[in-house]
Amino acid sequence: MEERQITKRERRELKRQEKLEQQENGAKSRLIKRFLLWALVLAGTAGLIFGMVKLGGSEPEQSAILINAVSPSDWTKGNKEAKVVLVEYSDFQCPACAYYQPLFKKLSEEFGDKITFAYRHFPLRQHQNARLAAYAAEAAGRQNKFWEMHDLIFENQNRWENRGDAENIFTGYARTLGLDIDEFKNGLSSKEIKDKVENDYQSGIRSNVNATPTVFLNGEKIKVPPNYDELQNIINEALKNNS
Amino acid sequence: MTSSKTSSTRPSKTIPNWIIFALIAVSVVGLADSSYLTAKHYLGSPINCSIFNGCEAVTASPYSVVLGVPVALWGVSYYFFFLLLAILYVDSKNEKTLEFTARFSIVGIVASAWFLFLQIFIIKALCLYCLISAVSSTTLFILGLTVLKRKNVSFLQNNLRDYFRIF
Repeated sequence: MEERQITKRERRELKRQEKLEQQENGAKSRLIKRFLLWALVLAGTAGLIFGMVKLGGSEPEQSAILINAVSPSDWTKGNKEAKVVLVEYSDFQCPACAYYQPLFKKLSEEFGDKITFAYRHFPLRQHQNARLAAYAAEAAGRQNKFWEMHDLIFENQNRWENRGDAENIFTGYARTLGLDIDEFKNGLSSKEIKDKVENDYQSGIRSNVNATPTVFLNGEKIKVPPNYDELQNIINEALKNNS
Repeated sequence: MTSSKTSSTRPSKTIPNWIIFALIAVSVVGLADSSYLTAKHYLGSPINCSIFNGCEAVTASPYSVVLGVPVALWGVSYYFFFLLLAILYVDSKNEKTLEFTARFSIVGIVASAWFLFLQIFIIKALCLYCLISAVSSTTLFILGLTVLKRKNVSFLQNNLRDYFRIF
């Protein structure tokens, strides 16, 4: 009788303990599950961000080598005999090119005859007024005001980029620069100028240019830094290596 | 049958798993997209116009930085926070967390609407990755509204403090 009772009590006790253990185990496994969930989420997020940073940061930079050296037909600033030659393929309607214009201008002013800076046209198809702007700069160039027109066109890019009457606006700039307007207008429609712009474009294509601005430093495409100081460093370095 | 008192009170329907799964998946997409844009902002090749993808006028515009922080990085913070909220709900199953998450999605759609407006009318250029983000945050908002509708709670709260209750 007694034995049986004990075993009964024992059994009850055992059951209670088992239940407690189960509960404890349940709590433990829940905790582990929660921990795993958060660890997985955080690790996954970190991995995702890391991957995206790698992807976004290391854009495959296509190398390109300048095929056509600077020639007398190019618009240049500085000393044509300089050891450091920069060639820019640019589009007057490209916002990035307009962004870089003051940087390159400052560069030419600061380095003067130590470098050559050449401008070549690379009007992109998606820019409706880019070619016309290139013609305008060339037409002004016939009256020796290429760079003046070049600056005006870039500085006022947002005033003409989407306009149907960009030609009038460019003619206005020609007037500001004191150009002979008839001659300027002739230039705008001249085949010679159109051919020159197309030639520049084709030479860009041959040199693997696929975006503007593309800049070649002594024939090799460089990554143009978006601030003046870094740009200055690149030129100083090139001057040091080529002296 | 007769003892079903729940029908008289507000029926608190459970939210199907697919909605929670979608909330998580879409915020992961948004997070990936905005991380990519942020990386491009800080490390990517300098701004240019390309033959193939037009101009990077959008990511290079002055509107691409708000309070000194690139919009893309704001996006990363938003989607990351959203993801954490969704996971918090999965973890805690607290209905308040889910409601907060659902209401929080309005931040993304308001920001997206503003940036879409800037792209179309001011910058006059669209950026693919910005559009992906706009689609993500719109989807999150729609999912958020679905959650609130299924739970039969209104988007608006009587008390300002109720908007910020996570637990």
